[in-house]
Amino acid sequence: MSTQQQLDDHIIERYTAQPTRLPLELRREIEHAWHGAPIQLYALADLDQSLVLAETWFALGPRHIAVAKRDSEGWDVRSIERASIEAVREAPGLSANTLTILGAPGEPALALLRYTHRQRRAFENIRFVLEEQVQGHTRELADGEADRLYAESVARPIRDAQALVSGRQTAVIRRLLGYLKPYRRDLTLGMAAATVITLVSLIPPYLAGYLIDRVVRPAQAGTLSLGRAGTIAALAVAAMAAVYLVKQAAAYVRLRLMAILGEWVARDLRDQLYEHIQRLSLAFFSRKRTGSLITRVSADTDRLWEFLAFGIVDVSLSLVQLLGLGTVLLSLDWRLGLVMTLPIPVFCWVIYRHGENISRLFIRAWRKWSRVTDVLSDTIPGIRVVKAFNQEDREIARFGERNADVTAEFNRIHASWTTFWPLLVLGVHAMTITVWLFAVPRLLGTGPQLPVGTFVSFLLYTTMFLAPIDVIGQMARTINRATTSAHRVFEVLDTEPEIREVAEPVRLEPVHGRVTFEHVTFGYDGVRQVLRGVSFDVAPGELIGLVGPSGGGKTTIVNLIARFYDVSGGAIRIDGVDLRQLDTGHYRRQIGMVLQDPYLFHGTVVENIRYGLPEAPLSDVVRAAQAANAHDFITKLQHGYDTVVGERGHTLSGGERQRVSIARAILHDPRILILDEATSSVDTETEREIQQALERLVAGRTVFAIAHRLSTLRKASRLFVIEDGRLIEHGTHAELLARPEGTYRRLYDLQVQLA
Amino acid sequence: MESMLVRRSDDGAIRKAAGGLTLEWRADGSLWAMRGDEERAVSVRRAFPWTEPTRHLSLRDADEEEFALVKDPAELDARSRAALERALAVAGFVFEVTRVLEIDEEVEIRRWRVETRQGPRTFQTRLDDWPRTLPHGGLLIRDLAGDLYHLGAPGQLDRHSRDLLWAFVD
Repeated sequence: MSTQQQLDDHIIERYTAQPTRLPLELRREIEHAWHGAPIQLYALADLDQSLVLAETWFALGPRHIAVAKRDSEGWDVRSIERASIEAVREAPGLSANTLTILGAPGEPALALLRYTHRQRRAFENIRFVLEEQVQGHTRELADGEADRLYAESVARPIRDAQALVSGRQTAVIRRLLGYLKPYRRDLTLGMAAATVITLVSLIPPYLAGYLIDRVVRPAQAGTLSLGRAGTIAALAVAAMAAVYLVKQAAAYVRLRLMAILGEWVARDLRDQLYEHIQRLSLAFFSRKRTGSLITRVSADTDRLWEFLAFGIVDVSLSLVQLLGLGTVLLSLDWRLGLVMTLPIPVFCWVIYRHGENISRLFIRAWRKWSRVTDVLSDTIPGIRVVKAFNQEDREIARFGERNADVTAEFNRIHASWTTFWPLLVLGVHAMTITVWLFAVPRLLGTGPQLPVGTFVSFLLYTTMFLAPIDVIGQMARTINRATTSAHRVFEVLDTEPEIREVAEPVRLEPVHGRVTFEHVTFGYDGVRQVLRGVSFDVAPGELIGLVGPSGGGKTTIVNLIARFYDVSGGAIRIDGVDLRQLDTGHYRRQIGMVLQDPYLFHGTVVENIRYGLPEAPLSDVVRAAQAANAHDFITKLQHGYDTVVGERGHTLSGGERQRVSIARAILHDPRILILDEATSSVDTETEREIQQALERLVAGRTVFAIAHRLSTLRKASRLFVIEDGRLIEHGTHAELLARPEGTYRRLYDLQVQLA
Repeated sequence: MESMLVRRSDDGAIRKAAGGLTLEWRADGSLWAMRGDEERAVSVRRAFPWTEPTRHLSLRDADEEEFALVKDPAELDARSRAALERALAVAGFVFEVTRVLEIDEEVEIRRWRVETRQGPRTFQTRLDDWPRTLPHGGLLIRDLAGDLYHLGAPGQLDRHSRDLLWAFVD
């Protein structure tokens, strides 16, 4: 069983309270009824006909489907031959979907199943296969994949939201601490310094008590000479000064070393994370939100720095300090020591509870804060609409209301902590008062003897209690926050790139540019196919126009050529070599792309043009820009090629950005070029200029151009019409126009009518 | 009768026709809509599922084309209205939460354990996906898979549920 499937099983078990598999006895029963034919796909219909949660299984085999309902005596299984199915219909609802399997018209439905959205993906897999069958297409399914596909379809929404669900907190912390290994020396020194701080902090109160009991009082009583008392007192004060010096020196070492060490670890994590992100496949980026990835590299690593630099030391030394204080107090006077130490667990628990309560308040405030930011993210980008509809006053009122609402929540938080902390300190003072109540009679001679100096030491020690109690009370929250960040970072690090290099990749030198598709099938998941057996052979230097309705598979074809994904079936060959055998990095250097919405990075125009070849001479840059019809407008800019563009830089028009991206592609000099709607979003004049530039760019290369405006593809060597994942027509513009019933002819006529 | 039939003519253009719309459930398990000589298996979509759930009901065929828009079911005959109500029960189904047993936070997600009229249920939401307050009161929660959970009157739930929901209710 693959790691992925194990994770999916774990997710289903932990989060959905539904079976991780089709029950084994039911599988046997169904396969027995099918004379041994395997179940290839299955799904759980978790609602019955009266919309109550139930357990009905729906299975698909090579020649049958089966519906199995659980009843008091076991399973009621009904098998239906697939050949009798004439239609499949799904009616989606808010949370209940209905799949109806129909036989001959007018006859009762063969099966009717109801299920929630949680099961919908698994049902869609089956529906897809049955619809293919109804349309007369054969869809061969691999045996032994049913469990994986079921688990994947149910677990996927949760996995996409949180991939590292199986990570235990202790394992995550252990893994995080592993990043400290290269800095063992500094870590040891930092921890030693922190230990020194903790231990020497215990000395001054002891010295104070010693001075009172062993020097001041004997001197006052005349049992110690003033000269000797003065010498001892001077030594004690000097010792105290030394203690403070050592403490602050250790504090310097600790803060310095740990802060820097934390930064190094955060740097290592950021580097590792960014490097890994760069290697991940496009599929990963389509699952994760950009903001979430940026947060992981920035805010999460920053939070881990805080934890590693201070959190670990603070927590561990607070424990040591509390233990040390407790031991010292009990050894000084066990009765008073008990008064001080017994309430400590109660204080820690109270602080923990307060943290929980504050968390609840924060969730509420966070929710209301998001309502404030919703207004901002709605109205600032949409300010033209606000003004056009004269809604400024309404938006101001909406913002004001939400702002007041969130302020009330923040004030509630302030009311909570500003009440709690004085009360907590009052509690500590109550302990001190209790100590006084117990101590005063003894100081006055009633009960066991209590030297004044010991009592003073005691009082000084009690002032040191609050800080470690606070740290320990908040320990759970500190660790939770750090492990949450670590989870988010490790989730990315543990994601495997879907495109993998073979052990000994082939480098084509040079790439000629022959591109061959051999029965290529592709699906973004295991069942539904976006490309269905596409085959073609493109000779080096050909310009291929990819046309057809949206969603037909054109972009998928170019994504596969660029090896952003690997094919599910069949093969793509470049100059006769399977694409999966090639060195991906080397191969991609031979690929150029000009996209509908060209992306320019923040930087100068020259840096953007040289993005693929940073060392290219400036004369080549100018030549590329001239060929791209970009040189003229670039030199008109105040800073010419040195103009900063992209985010926060000079704003270029869509046509200008497109020409810079064409210059970038020309300079890159690819053997295979992909043009994806390169001229679709510009005006006619700009389109003419871009067309000229593209004509220079495509010369001598293998080109795949996607365009909805068919007129832009007249010069193509051949046109491929892609519809519903299939190559349905191919030929030159003239050849395809000559087919009166052809799809290309129909699309072309429609565009001519609209023009 | 305000119900309108939106009919697709041969050339694909949409035209509206007046006349009686009738609905019935047939043996094939589907709701069929009929008007004049045209009939189609349809499913129901509420145009305003939370603002006005019982009016403006869109009847859509297998290709998701609108066959008719029922502005008010009261204008249908009794048999058609009963058929429509049966279809609405399925189309408008959401889990009705009767008790909240646990709300817990994990990395990136919030875990909910609830009791619903349909049975016990565990589901997850993103941490930054908040329950939606509905126009007529009540809360609506959407889980990671897209299933919806309705709390008609959160203030009338038991005390434990109310405590757990406190952070999510205005």
